[in-house]
Amino acid sequence: MGRGYIVEDTVERYLSKLCEQQAGPVTGLLIGQSSAQRDFVVMAIRTPQSEESTAAGNSVDKELVSEHARQVSRMLPGGLSVLGVFIITDTDAKDTLTTLRQLVFAVENLISSELLWNPADDDVTDSVTLHVNTKTRKTVCRTFDVKDPKSTARPADWKYQSGVCSSWATVSCCLNVNLLVPLPHNKTSAENMDRCLKEGLKVWANQIESGVCLIDGKKLPEDSELTAGQRRNVRQMYSAQLLITPDDQRLPDVVQLCGGSVSVRGAIHSRAFLHSNKPKAKLAEKLLKRDVVSTVASRVQMLLEEEDQSGDKQQTEQLCLPRRVFCPVKVNGPVCVCDYQFSDEGLPEVIDRLKEMLDMDAAEEDLDTRQEMTAEVTESSVTTEPTVETVKASEPKKNNYIGVAMATAVALLATAASMLYLNDI
Amino acid sequence: MVVVDSDSEIILRVKGPLELKCQLDTSDAQLTRRVISRTFESLRSQVQSESCVLAVCDSPVFIWPNKSVHATPEEITPNTPCEDIQQWIQTDDQESAGKRSAKKKSKKSSSASVINLRLMMELTQPGPLSAPILSKTVQRSHFLAATLPMDCVVCIGCSDTIKYACERLLEALTRQLCDMEKVTLQHMRGPTVLVPEALHFLLPEPKGLVTVVYTEGVSDSQLETQRKELHQQFELPDDRPYFRRANAYHFPNEPYKDGYLRNPHVVLTHPTLDNGKLYLVQGIYSYHHYMQDRMDDNGWGCAYRSLQTICSWFQQQGYVERSVPTHKEIQQALVDVGDKQASFVGSRQWIGSIEVQAVLNQLLGITSKIMFVSQGSELASKGRELANHFLTEGTPIMIGGGVLAHTILGVTWSETTGQIRYLILDPHYTGAEDLQLITDKGWCGWKGPDFWDQTAYYNLCLPQRPKVI
Repeated sequence: MGRGYIVEDTVERYLSKLCEQQAGPVTGLLIGQSSAQRDFVVMAIRTPQSEESTAAGNSVDKELVSEHARQVSRMLPGGLSVLGVFIITDTDAKDTLTTLRQLVFAVENLISSELLWNPADDDVTDSVTLHVNTKTRKTVCRTFDVKDPKSTARPADWKYQSGVCSSWATVSCCLNVNLLVPLPHNKTSAENMDRCLKEGLKVWANQIESGVCLIDGKKLPEDSELTAGQRRNVRQMYSAQLLITPDDQRLPDVVQLCGGSVSVRGAIHSRAFLHSNKPKAKLAEKLLKRDVVSTVASRVQMLLEEEDQSGDKQQTEQLCLPRRVFCPVKVNGPVCVCDYQFSDEGLPEVIDRLKEMLDMDAAEEDLDTRQEMTAEVTESSVTTEPTVETVKASEPKKNNYIGVAMATAVALLATAASMLYLNDI
Repeated sequence: MVVVDSDSEIILRVKGPLELKCQLDTSDAQLTRRVISRTFESLRSQVQSESCVLAVCDSPVFIWPNKSVHATPEEITPNTPCEDIQQWIQTDDQESAGKRSAKKKSKKSSSASVINLRLMMELTQPGPLSAPILSKTVQRSHFLAATLPMDCVVCIGCSDTIKYACERLLEALTRQLCDMEKVTLQHMRGPTVLVPEALHFLLPEPKGLVTVVYTEGVSDSQLETQRKELHQQFELPDDRPYFRRANAYHFPNEPYKDGYLRNPHVVLTHPTLDNGKLYLVQGIYSYHHYMQDRMDDNGWGCAYRSLQTICSWFQQQGYVERSVPTHKEIQQALVDVGDKQASFVGSRQWIGSIEVQAVLNQLLGITSKIMFVSQGSELASKGRELANHFLTEGTPIMIGGGVLAHTILGVTWSETTGQIRYLILDPHYTGAEDLQLITDKGWCGWKGPDFWDQTAYYNLCLPQRPKVI
């Protein structure tokens, strides 16, 4: 039995319009959410045209499609992902299916190479391919298991419906980020900062993954239904809290030589959407945590990509991460996409990107800019303490503590050029 | 230092790692110390902030001690007595995460029960807030990344409220951070930093449970001066250890990793004799017996096992650091002192009290007294000596005679009637570490004078406790 895709009516209209407009083959992405029983498609987005493709005529550019998918992924809040690829052609050529297969694997490989979280056992690994034939108006829907390089096409159902995500639930939170990672002492090229940050982010992502998630102030059993006891077809909004504790496993406590350090401090707004087919608490937790990790990682990545292009490295730099701006999708329901606005950009740039990347027409009044404030670099933020409410620590009332004196050095220094101090009693 | 009253009924233990991370310019020692102090200061702020959360282990209970003691589930209020928290804790035989019904509430044991809490930080906060800033500092220096293993204990009464408990816990956490800061700064040498660790020690009444911050990785032998100070501070005798690492209090719910039973005798009902008094082994030992450690010594190893039990006592009281010796190591020790030929190693030959004394001396540096009785019936008259031994030394006794060896863990003796009972730990047991079985069947149990072969002669090895701290 194949998978069943429930697709928004708006997608049908979008694909029809593309059928009428285009001469050569049109490719694009299908966006939505998969679950064990059923899959939901919320949007379809055509691949943006690059200058070469019109000249090259009818060939499909695999790299363009997968790069587009990578960028689009960054603009999808939790719960939404690139489910697959569509192609609109006027032929029924056998190699269309092969092309589609290549596309979904390329997309999957590129997107998963950037992920900082571990795949879960209950993740759906099927990608969908849709072939719309403009002459016959026939649509053929097939799936491939993108974790299996040898997988073959399996038939799937493709059904249009209205209000697919009208009663989807939203889980969100505002989360403090406080990372500090050392830079290697031998080289301080941009590449190294990239790598160090990525490693630091990986450790932080693990902490988030193993953190405790409270929904509406309570720790719910994993398999409990989130929307149990709620009226059907009523939009649900849940607020989440994340509690973490650093890894118990002791790192070799090290004082190491470094060439400096990098910190990322501030807050982010995280959001995830859940389908309305009896979603479980653990799904909400999984999707929200993944969004937390990816919104921070994407922004850091975007910042580093920008930075690579600017010239010279300074001793001390402060860079503002872009802030997250949401835009509702034009379907009935709470579903939004997002974009990242740099501090030197205005809303028109956001609107342009939404059009270019997501083929979405949005107006400034549609945008939700209230979830995050633009970061500002000020003198005082250089030595800022973490943005946790601080209380002046009072001296403990009893002063009769005893520290126990030690004699032997324990810590290790990491590099050959380090100095080791040995203590004797 | 936390000094708590051990008469109270609940022990609250909060554990959790805190990350100590900062960039240090170690060419300037004073600046380095200031940076480290400032980092500790920010950790103290974190612990006192609204983001600090105490999670009750194995339960859905989370408490925000600095947010007016807000808790989830909502049935828990600041005035809820601490004993109510126990109802929320899931034991192994429970599936649901909800409140246990009153019927299933477990019997209160006579000793204090322990509630374990985990120190956590909440990352989320109501928004909107500013998007993050990435700050880069390029400077050749050092980077310190350490994990502080916070471990605090407070003892409170069952009916004390959560609000009170949280105040005590926060006080303890803040104080421990101060202790750790002091210890860390005290032992900085150039670019090396030593990590503190907290250990708890159970002192004799009424002092109770005490927490001390040591530095990790440093052996007991180097901590003697500090132990002297502690002994003075707590007015403890200076001839027995209380603050060695091995003396650290073992919390009731923590399993022992090695799998041996500890002190099986404590579950027994001790006999009562007219004017009889109880004289028992002091401290903790492990039960060693036939067939353990995949060593089939059935029929010949009883004295070896008794010796292992004695060695385990010295290790767990902190007198020695070496682990309990194997049969081969015991045999090799006897060869090394010239008592046996080299062919002894690997054999299945018996040993007796004299050999036990020799091995204790050779491997552990322990001296022992030997007591000889020419016939088993005489043992009944040794009540005073045995009682004195347990009073002053408190070590397990190995007794060998006839064809058997046993361990004596204590006596009940009446000075007026002369009646006596012996608490025996039998090394001839071949089964699994089943406390119920071992005590039901008398493998650890009280025996009368007729337990001994009345005509055989016996040697007893009475290990002497070294007078050190």
